Order: sequence, then C-alpha cells, then structure tokens
Amino acid sequence: MINMAKETLGDYERLQADGKYRVGADIPAITFSEIGKRGIRRLDGYEKASGKALYTRDVQLPGMLYARVLMSTHAHGRITRIDTSKAEALPGVRAVIRHDDPEVKGRELNGSYFGPEWVTPEAASWGLKPIHLVLGDEAWYEGEPLGVVVAADSEEIADEALRLTDVEWEELPFILDQEEALKPDAYILRPGADNNIVQHPADERGLIEKGDVEEGFREADKVVEFRVKRNAHLWAGAEPPSVVVRWRGDNLEMWVHEQQPYHAKMLISEWLNLPMNKITVHSLYQGGAYGGRGNPANNSENGMNVLAALLARRTGRPVKLLYNRSEYFYGESGDMAVTYFKVGAKSDGTITAVQIRNIFAVYMCAPGIEHFIDNTRIPNLKCEGLAVDVSKGPAWWCRCEQLPNCLCLTLVFDRVAAELGLDPTEVALRNDGCDGHDMTYLSEYKREHGFPDRDSLRECIEAGKKAIAWDKKWHQPGMKRLPNGRMHGIAFTWNHDWDDVRGTGSAAVMFENDGTVSIIGQQSDIGVNPWTAYCQIVADELGVRYEDVNIKPFNLDHGFALMSPDGSCNLCSNANVLRKATKKAKGMLLELAAQKFEGVEADELDIKDSMIYVKAAPEKAKTIKEVVTLAMPSFVSCVFWTEAPVIAWAWHTQGLWGEALETGRPRLCRQAHFIEVEVDTETGEIEVTKVVNVNDVGKAISPETVEGQMYGGTYMGLGRALTEEMVWDEQTGVLLNRNLLNYKYASMLDYGPIETIIKETGMGHGPYGACGIGEATPTMIPALLGPAVYNAIGKWIDEYPITPDRVLEALGKLGE
Amino acid sequence: MSKQEAGVALPEAPIELVVNGEAYRLRVQSNWSLQHVLHNELGLTGAKDFCDRGVCGSCAVIVEGRPILSCMTLAIECDGKAIETVEGIAKANHPLIEAYVKHHCMQCGYCTPGFVVTAKALLDKNPSPGEEEVKEALAGNLCRCGTYPQHVKAVLEAANNLRRG
Repeated sequence: MINMAKETLGDYERLQADGKYRVGADIPAITFSEIGKRGIRRLDGYEKASGKALYTRDVQLPGMLYARVLMSTHAHGRITRIDTSKAEALPGVRAVIRHDDPEVKGRELNGSYFGPEWVTPEAASWGLKPIHLVLGDEAWYEGEPLGVVVAADSEEIADEALRLTDVEWEELPFILDQEEALKPDAYILRPGADNNIVQHPADERGLIEKGDVEEGFREADKVVEFRVKRNAHLWAGAEPPSVVVRWRGDNLEMWVHEQQPYHAKMLISEWLNLPMNKITVHSLYQGGAYGGRGNPANNSENGMNVLAALLARRTGRPVKLLYNRSEYFYGESGDMAVTYFKVGAKSDGTITAVQIRNIFAVYMCAPGIEHFIDNTRIPNLKCEGLAVDVSKGPAWWCRCEQLPNCLCLTLVFDRVAAELGLDPTEVALRNDGCDGHDMTYLSEYKREHGFPDRDSLRECIEAGKKAIAWDKKWHQPGMKRLPNGRMHGIAFTWNHDWDDVRGTGSAAVMFENDGTVSIIGQQSDIGVNPWTAYCQIVADELGVRYEDVNIKPFNLDHGFALMSPDGSCNLCSNANVLRKATKKAKGMLLELAAQKFEGVEADELDIKDSMIYVKAAPEKAKTIKEVVTLAMPSFVSCVFWTEAPVIAWAWHTQGLWGEALETGRPRLCRQAHFIEVEVDTETGEIEVTKVVNVNDVGKAISPETVEGQMYGGTYMGLGRALTEEMVWDEQTGVLLNRNLLNYKYASMLDYGPIETIIKETGMGHGPYGACGIGEATPTMIPALLGPAVYNAIGKWIDEYPITPDRVLEALGKLGE
Repeated sequence: MSKQEAGVALPEAPIELVVNGEAYRLRVQSNWSLQHVLHNELGLTGAKDFCDRGVCGSCAVIVEGRPILSCMTLAIECDGKAIETVEGIAKANHPLIEAYVKHHCMQCGYCTPGFVVTAKALLDKNPSPGEEEVKEALAGNLCRCGTYPQHVKAVLEAANNLRRG
C-alpha cells in the first residue's frame, strides 16, 4: 500500500465506489480503427469553411426586432434620473424597459441558482459584483449594462433610441488597483462592508499550508524574494454575444451563444417562473468562448436572455438582443493579481520551501500553489490568497482558471534556476514528484495501478530540448548578443497534464432505420472538434465505420446534454458517457440480431465494419439495417416497417467540483514548453522566434485536433504575454481599449514557428489513458516570456504583459 | 417626428449587385455596409461581424477581383459591381474548401470564411505563392483560436491542386 494521506484516501475510495474517479489505468479493451487516426474528415469542417455554419449572430426570424441595452459610462455611479420619452417616441421603437419598470425593478440577475449567500456585501465572490440586478440603476464599472433596454425594427433605431435617452448620473468614487483598495483609508466600494475584500469567508483557498515553510527557508542555501503583477486580459472571442428569443403562445424558444445552454434553460425558467417543459433551447455553432460564454453571473448570458424574453413578450415578436464588440470588452480573466514570492532552495536546485501571497482583483480564480502540490516533491508550501473588489467588470475563468498556478510555478522554478546558475530543465527534473513525494512514489503508484512506468517529464524535456537545440542555445542571462544587435533569450517551463476530471453528461446512441448511428445529446461547439472525436469513439466501441456515425448536438429538447466544453475535460467525460451508452445500445442491437440469426445467442455475435456477424462463423453476417428494420417492410403505414427503436442512453459523472487538489490520485503526464526570443534593448521590442510545445496527452484521439489546440493556445498565450492588456484611464476609470485595434492579439505574422510534439504515454486517468489539452498551452505560455526576456537581457520584468516600455524600464532606459 | 428628424432612416437608393454570378436589384439605406446587406438582406451569412471596424478580415469578400472588408464598405458604393463571397467560392468547389477541411483550418470557425475569401483572392492573383506570400496575404485576418499554421499548409496545397487542374 502506498503512503497516501489518510484523510484523502477515504474520499477517493468513496469517489471510486461512486464511479466518479477512475483510480487506475484505463487499458483499452477495443481495437482502434478510427481513434488516434490522422486524416479523419472533421464533422464541422465543410460547414465552417464554406460559410454555411450558422451562429447565433446569424439567426433572423420573420418579424424579428433588435434589442440594445444601455451601458454605463461611469466606473462607479448611480442613475438619478432617466428620461426615455424621446426614445419611446422614435418611429420604429417597439418596446422600452427601464430599470424602474415593475417587471425588472430590484430583480436579481439569477435568483436561487447563484443564491444570495454569494452576493452579500461580505461575499461577492465567484465573479459576481456586489449588487447584481438584471437591469439596475447603479454602475459598478464602466461598461456595465443597466438603466434601459430597447427593442426596435433595426439595430440602428435601437441605438438611436439609446442615444435619445437622457440619463443623469451621480458619480461615485472608484478604485482600479487592488492594493489601493486594501489600504486602510481606501474608499469602500460596497455599501455596508468594512473593507473591499470580496472573498467568501468560507473559501478555504484563502490559506493553504503544507509542511513548515520557515523550516524550509532555514534548510535553504539560497532564499529569493520577488513581486510580480499580472494585468487584465480577457476572452475576446470572435462572435460577440447575442440571443434570439421568440414566444409560441406560452412556450419560449431561444437561440443562445453559451457554453452551457442547460444553464440558460434552468435560469430563465426560474426567472420567468416558466416550466422547463415549455422552453426550447437551440445552441448553434459558437464563435469562440474560452470560458467567457460560461458564466451565468454575467449580464451577457442569463441577463440578456431575460431582457430579450421580456421584450419579446411585450411586443409579441421575436427579439434579437446584441452586444457589439466594444460592449463585449466586459469582465476580465480572473488572474489579475499582485503576487509576492519567497522561495528557498539548496544549491543543487532542490527547492525546500515556497511561500506565495496573492492579491487578486475582483476574483481569485486559483490560489497559485496547487501545481506545486500536484506536481512537485517540495515539502514546505504556504499560500495566502485574497480577492479584492475594484471598479472593474466581473472576472471569471478565461482559458483557464489555472493561469495563476502556472505563472507561480514557472516564475518560482525559473527564478531558482537563475539564482543558482542552473539549467532550468535540471531544476524541474530534480523537483518533479507529487504532494511532497519524489518520483519513486509515482513509480510505485503507476505500477500498482496498471500504468506504464514512464518518466513523462524526462521524455517531454528530452524531445523539447532536441527540437529547440537547447544544449547548444541555452546560456547564462544577458550573455548572447546576436549579429542583428538584439539579445538572444531562451527559456523553459513545465507542468503536469490538464487531467480528465470534472464532468457530467448524458447522451443516447440510436440506430437509424438505414443502419447508421446517431449520437443524441446537446453540446455547444466552441471549436475543439469534439463531435468528430465522439463519432470516432462510438465507431470503434461499436465496430462500425466512422462515416456511419453522426451527432445531433444543436438542441436540448431531447433531454440529453453532453458535458459542456469546459475545463479541458469534455472529451474525457463524454467518452465515458458515450462508452456507456454504446455498450447498452450494442447489447440491445445484438439481442435483436440474435432473433434474426438462426440458433445463435446474442453473446455469439459481434460487429465489425458496420456488419453484424457470428463470431464462430464470420461469413454469417447481416447489415445493421437488416436487423433494425422488419424483413418485409409494409408501406401500408410507416410505423409498421421498423422494429422497436434500438436506442440506449447513459449518464456519467466524474470528478469533484471545487476540489482543485488531486491528492491521492496523482497526475502522471507532464508537459514541457520552450521559447526563444530576441530582445531589442534600444526599443524594448521582443521578437518571439520559436516556440516548442511538448504535451503528454496520454492518448491523442484526434492528433490534428490536439495540434490545433497546441498551436492556438500558443498564439493566445503569446498575446497574453506580450500585447493583450486592458488599460483603464486612471482619471475616469474608463476602459480605454475596447476594440481589437488597441487590444491586440496575434496575427499570422507576429510570431516565429511553433513546433508541436505529442507524447502518448497512456498515463492519463481518462478514457484510453487520455487527458485534457484544450487549456494547457495558453495557460502555460504567458509566464514563460518573463524567463526568456531575463535570459536575454539579464533583468527580470515584474509586470505582465511584457510590453516594450516595461523592458526599457527594467533596462533603466525609460526617460533617457 | 419624422424618421429623418430622428436621424435614423437615411435616404434609400436602388442598387444592383452581381453576387456570386447572380444579379440582385435592391434598395439600400445609404448608411448600410456591404456586410449588412450580404448578411442580413441576402442571407449570405459567411461574411461575419467580428471586430466591427476593419481589423479582423472576417467580413472579407471579393469585389471586382480584390479582397475588401465588407464592414468598412458602403453598399451603395458597390452599385453595379461583381461580388464574390465564400458561398460562391464553395459552390464552385474551389480546392481551398477541401484543403481547409483536411488541414483543420477551423476551430470555432467564425473567422474561417474570411480566410477562405482572402486566400481565394490571393490565388486568383498569384497561383503559385510561397509560404511567406501566403502569410503576408492572410496577415489581415484574425483568428482568436489561433489556427494560423494550418492555413498556410491548406493554401499551398490548394494552389498545388489548382495548378494540376
């Protein structure tokens, strides 16, 4: 028996018994024909390339009106008077709802779903702002939707109506910086509160301690302290938010741009007191999400759905409510933080203690220490975390909430390596482990739980070092000037895999009368090519051709909802949903087939290449169509020609929401990332000349999709590292760059080549040994730029993103 | 109050467009963008509304042989002009479409039509582009999902297929 912490062992035994965790290897029991194969034609490919794919933004219905909401022009203020008479008189305006309208006045955004305990002045956590109404009269940040919503014949008329609305404001003090907000004399933003701390008192992430950091510092040969600030960035997905709503009598139909449309249904049902069986929700293709279409606490989800539904009911016409691009600069990634580090290490690179104090603005998406627990042998860890309110929009998970953990891990490891003059890849290998244990513990765990005993980190590092020519290129900081005059820098970071946990989903597998297979289950497509993977899995689990499987994901009416595309775990959860449903459906099919093969039992049959055959005599075979239809179709009535439908559904849940620490179920796969830069010490410009990502994904179901996530995540990560920053005016609290010209993310030409290396050790806890990938790269890459710039110029930049002015400041060249 | 007093409804004008080889006769408001007319009036939803100010290329269409940003172009300025949209490119079975599917050039897919249009305009002008020319041509198209490396492969392959006929 391995030496697991007693208190967590019990949890795991219970969870494993509940089927919520697989504690052990998932050795594939099937032959892979489609799974893992390259060249499979992706299901959404043609629609998207040809412009045929429809998004919520594209929906138009007969007689449809367009709705627009007023946005606050003040960072903090109260509407004292609002005059909508001119707007109401404007031809083409069909309905106006003001904040003092009895139907919305004082109504909370979400009701019991995000209950009042989360929105008290003491506890405005989870990305909520303190007083959060569906259409309020008080602005907590510039850009907050409030005051009035208008439906009109066109967008232009609705916009004109908002311009004609006369609003008088009482301006109130605002605060933009979380450390300012913590000062004893700071203005208190929330009425009735004693300070600006918004963390829920029951949030155990406020203090996480393992071992004794003071003892660890005493053991250290070197102790280093530093401070880093991470500024705001956000999702900025391609499709701006919209919703289309229509009433059919007292039935409500809506088209939503959301990652979790079942939330939309639950929330609006409660808000309108409308039974769920009267609500139809459509989820067409989703133009990007990254978590930003997954927070029902934002006005741009349930809030806009409710307003559109009210306007549609008043006007008797379909309503499309739209936010434009500037209004979609709404909220921030929940990793805006100032972090104070203290780290102790022995001279050989063994880290003895890590102490972190994190002060988050608005919302703490992750404390910052978890990856040291999950991923290292470091015995002494301490993390204090605070979330502090400021006059900025609601923060939330932004591909992904692990950003603080990755930033902290990267900076601690690279600082230690730099201070000791060691190769950072050696420091990583020296400290690799889990929950304070070293690699022998992990080896034992792997052997006892059926996993191959491979050293994932070492394999990832070796592959990455070779790809970027690390041994030739790595040098001491500030030592390598290139012929073009720039300074060369190279850096490395690492982490564990993105795991497979946390998901609940349901779906049905049905045989159509022509023998093809339908997967029935709603799922929002945000671009991670899940449907192709589901069809690959069902095809291989059933023994049918990939081409014979399709999915019906655009609607919730059938009652099945697959795990939403969140947390990099949709595939690992849904593969289990689909395997369960497929197993049942296959059993039903073979039972039915046995009746049509003479003298054969179901367990003597199997399926291959979409044919049902007798295992002992494979030449005896029938098509699925022959089995699911009657032998002699009668066309007297169409209902007579089919057998009873062969359809089976399954539900599956796994993981433990809210438990970030995976103690007792160690992560076994690793990832390694390398970056190469050139820094111009006169202009401060940074050129990224190469990135190498090595991800051990356990098993790649669709290798091209994995690569796509690694490429895409790199561009998003580099944007966060270099150019993506929301900038507020200190005098007015107004966000200055609400557009894609001035909030700049990567284009085709901005960065050098990206190399993607997929490792498949089979050591993921997910299906077929897989683990997640969607969020790994964009979360790992941003912090890595700091060590790369350090390696180039020999100076640490203590503020992210690393813009040219910050480079020049570090070089002491600002104002020269 | 009349519509004009409210400053909403600007004068309308009749225009004629040839879109993907088909002639249209329309009345458009003078403030309508070409993107609005294609997307909302003609139902050609491939020209997407992404950045709303000429930054991202998702609304790209080809007008008189040149790729333009339809969100920055007034529809009445296009009177009498020939316009090619992604729908026309797909209908003509241009090899770019299959190359895009094969090389996974889409994730969420919202920006993909704009890339296809821009790439088509490139290949019309330059049937044998090099890698850097492809990147240069597509540099005005933004993809938040970061599919960029896949586009280069797809465009080069489509060019190869076009040359081979």
